[in-house]
Amino acid sequence: MKRRKFQSSTRNLQSFARREFLLAAGGIAAGIALESATTAAAAAEPASATAAAMHAAIRKVVGTARVNPGKVTLELPPLIENGNSVPLAVRVDSPMTQADHVKAIHVFSEKNPLPNVASFFLGPRAGRASVATRVRLADTQTVVAICELSDGSFWSGSASVVVTISACLEAL
Amino acid sequence: MINAPKITRRKFIISTAAAGGGLALGLSIPFGSSLVHAADGSPEINAWVVVRPDDTVVVRIARSEMGQGTLTGLAQMVAEELECDWSRVTTEYPTPGQNVARKRIWGDFGTGGSRGIRTSHDYVRKGGAAARMMLVQAAANAWKVPASECSAANSVITHQPSGRTTTYGKVADAAGKLEAPKDVALKDPKDWKIIGKPLKRLDTIDKLTGKQVYGADLKLPGMLNAAIKDCPIFGGKVKRFDAAKAERMPGVKKIVRVGDSAIVVVADTWWQAKTALDAIAIEWDGGANAKVSSASIAGMLKEGLSAEQAFVHNQNGDAKAAIAGAAKKIEAVYAYPFQNHATMEPMNATALYTADRCEVWCPTQNGEAALAATAAASGLPVAQCDVHKLHLGGGFGRRGFTDSVRQAVQIAKQMPGTPVKLLWSREEDMLHGMYHPVMQAKLTGALDASGNLAGMHIRLSGQSILSAVRPEAMDKGKDPFAFQGFWPSGEHSLEYTIPNLLVDHAMRNTHVPPGFWRGVNINQNAIFLECFMDELAHAAGQDALEFRRKLMAKHPKSLAVLNAVADKGGWGKPAAPGVHRGLAHFRAFGSYVAACAEISVSGGNKVKIHRIVAATDTGYAVNPAQIERQIAGSFVYGLSALFNQECTVKDGRMEQDNFHTYDSMRIAQMPKVESLIMPSGGFWGGVGEPTICVAAPAVLNAFFAATGKRIRTFPLKNHGITMV
Repeated sequence: MKRRKFQSSTRNLQSFARREFLLAAGGIAAGIALESATTAAAAAEPASATAAAMHAAIRKVVGTARVNPGKVTLELPPLIENGNSVPLAVRVDSPMTQADHVKAIHVFSEKNPLPNVASFFLGPRAGRASVATRVRLADTQTVVAICELSDGSFWSGSASVVVTISACLEAL
Repeated sequence: MINAPKITRRKFIISTAAAGGGLALGLSIPFGSSLVHAADGSPEINAWVVVRPDDTVVVRIARSEMGQGTLTGLAQMVAEELECDWSRVTTEYPTPGQNVARKRIWGDFGTGGSRGIRTSHDYVRKGGAAARMMLVQAAANAWKVPASECSAANSVITHQPSGRTTTYGKVADAAGKLEAPKDVALKDPKDWKIIGKPLKRLDTIDKLTGKQVYGADLKLPGMLNAAIKDCPIFGGKVKRFDAAKAERMPGVKKIVRVGDSAIVVVADTWWQAKTALDAIAIEWDGGANAKVSSASIAGMLKEGLSAEQAFVHNQNGDAKAAIAGAAKKIEAVYAYPFQNHATMEPMNATALYTADRCEVWCPTQNGEAALAATAAASGLPVAQCDVHKLHLGGGFGRRGFTDSVRQAVQIAKQMPGTPVKLLWSREEDMLHGMYHPVMQAKLTGALDASGNLAGMHIRLSGQSILSAVRPEAMDKGKDPFAFQGFWPSGEHSLEYTIPNLLVDHAMRNTHVPPGFWRGVNINQNAIFLECFMDELAHAAGQDALEFRRKLMAKHPKSLAVLNAVADKGGWGKPAAPGVHRGLAHFRAFGSYVAACAEISVSGGNKVKIHRIVAATDTGYAVNPAQIERQIAGSFVYGLSALFNQECTVKDGRMEQDNFHTYDSMRIAQMPKVESLIMPSGGFWGGVGEPTICVAAPAVLNAFFAATGKRIRTFPLKNHGITMV
């Protein structure tokens, strides 16, 4: 199989109706279950407006489908000094064949002003479901990556990042 | 006493060879065991408290001590709830690597914004309380009695009914194995025995005996020393350099580059490195900003004072209409310059890099930021890096930035296996600050026919710190920090009720890198507002205190500190001949502060500041003696700046490169400072910074009273005014 290096691309994000990701300030969508350990911890925190926004954004992508924890490895440094440029990598365990491949990887933030961070659209010719880029993260938070497989199922992984603030600032 | 790192060569080799997970130096956490041991084998009761068999208590401190006394204050808070013997308390810094590895068990390491005590008091007290509960439970278990029948005081646990006693050291091992209690109650402040007391600091003795190790003093086995020159024009690069002569000079080991803008000499001793570095002919490429000057910057800021577009952060009513229709309109333009932190210990960091580990020893206001910078600069994962925090020879906000850490790591990476200490010269430190940003202000006030304040417009024009340092914290392009002291509510709230108010900021950024200088924007904002309030009072023919009081009915805590300094300062009563008074108050970092200065002026320009009465309401006062010292120290910093200090730009670079052009006040010039510490309870306000902002306007207002001259641009030396 010819392997083509997948380049992260934001053009797909723009062609993906951006409006779909913008959301009215709404409550946490019922029924969503992101059950990895770190997101369980995040969900246990008092629901801030932005955490609710993240859940709603995720709902817009997955609809009523269940999100299963697993298959997705989200790599972020545990500690970062500059939230403006955080290296992020997502890998999904998938043979990437016509019959069984990753269709999309979506990355969500619980603290950014906009909950959707990036979306990657793949097909079997991508060779590997492995993407890497740099993202902007507003604050210490848990980041969630959700992938959609060709069979219509959704899987998730998450990672937490501490963004050290330049000592003299509190969270404004 | 801080547990200063005693690094023998053998221990150094062992610790750097042990590559596991960021815990090589310090803690051993045996797999599967719930009991954590400190480096000397003593058990942790919990992450905050280690108890030694001899009943010595080691309190873990997450924040950074830089002279502000936070180390002692935090230890007091833990000890209060722990009920240990204060005379046996010592402290220790866990590393940020340990914090990351233990899922941030010590929380935030950031020390700035006068936050060290007020944002950690709750959980550190709970840490002490939980440890006490576990120690008591361990004793109760050993005696087979209910814990409720036991009490603890001074590291002694007593079973009340039988009178049996034991000490913390004896039950520490057993206590450390217990599960942490779920519900931890804290003492009522009225029961405090340690918090609120003017206790001696824990770190003074080591400083006096020279035992205290600062980054600049650090010596590691096999260490080399590095001196650096980075392009003095911000944003510029090295064009070419000739190191032929330097390479042959004594002690020189290597000449390396850091990025595209800095040259470094690594030598046996720092003096050899510095001397060789001075012998390198460097040609700089100044880049786009090589022509910028203070004059060009001032022109840009002046335009902002009347620009159409500005960010609004506080408004009510219609200030412009009120001003247009005013019986009397008063307008004044003020300007405050760039400032450098000028810490006594220049920026420095020591780094050791190998292919699988990078360690740094440095003074830092944020251990986690230094660790993140170390990981980023070394290219190694965070788990393979760590930072050893050293006490700071001054911080004031400069050492929240990790530029010298990154440089040290980049140098060490070019000499793997060799520890390299990078120490900036004073010149390098003065030329590569993270400067207090330049700001101008146009204040316009409207008085009605009765001399009441009917409206006010404060237009700020100048540089935003956040836009350079933390743009993600900005509010739709606005920098809320520029408005410190003018906020509608919150910890930097405006403490006057002014009808028809408009406070806006024309953002004018320069190529000079901005940072947080002790007090940050309250320094100029307090001068702008409190001097202008005096101008308004004068124009209205009213007493400066009365004019203010009329606007403060809804600001009782500010009124209390203002009244206190006015009262003790003798406001309204005749002063000694030739002595004049000035007042100022402000709200900053959650605290309410005020000052009344008494000065005399001879020859129209020689100012003797006799005394300053200062008041601060910090909510709670952990160590009143330390607060007094912080008040006085903040006045040294603020008054030195007012009279002597500015950083001016010429040809794209700063002109002031040592203390001969950036002078500090001297001890003979220091006024008597009388501190009124008035904690009113119910909130926690900061100490390190707030008071810095009130000395300058109080002195300036007194200067007007003495001479009839209103000074609006600074420093005062530019007007021929000096402190005597």
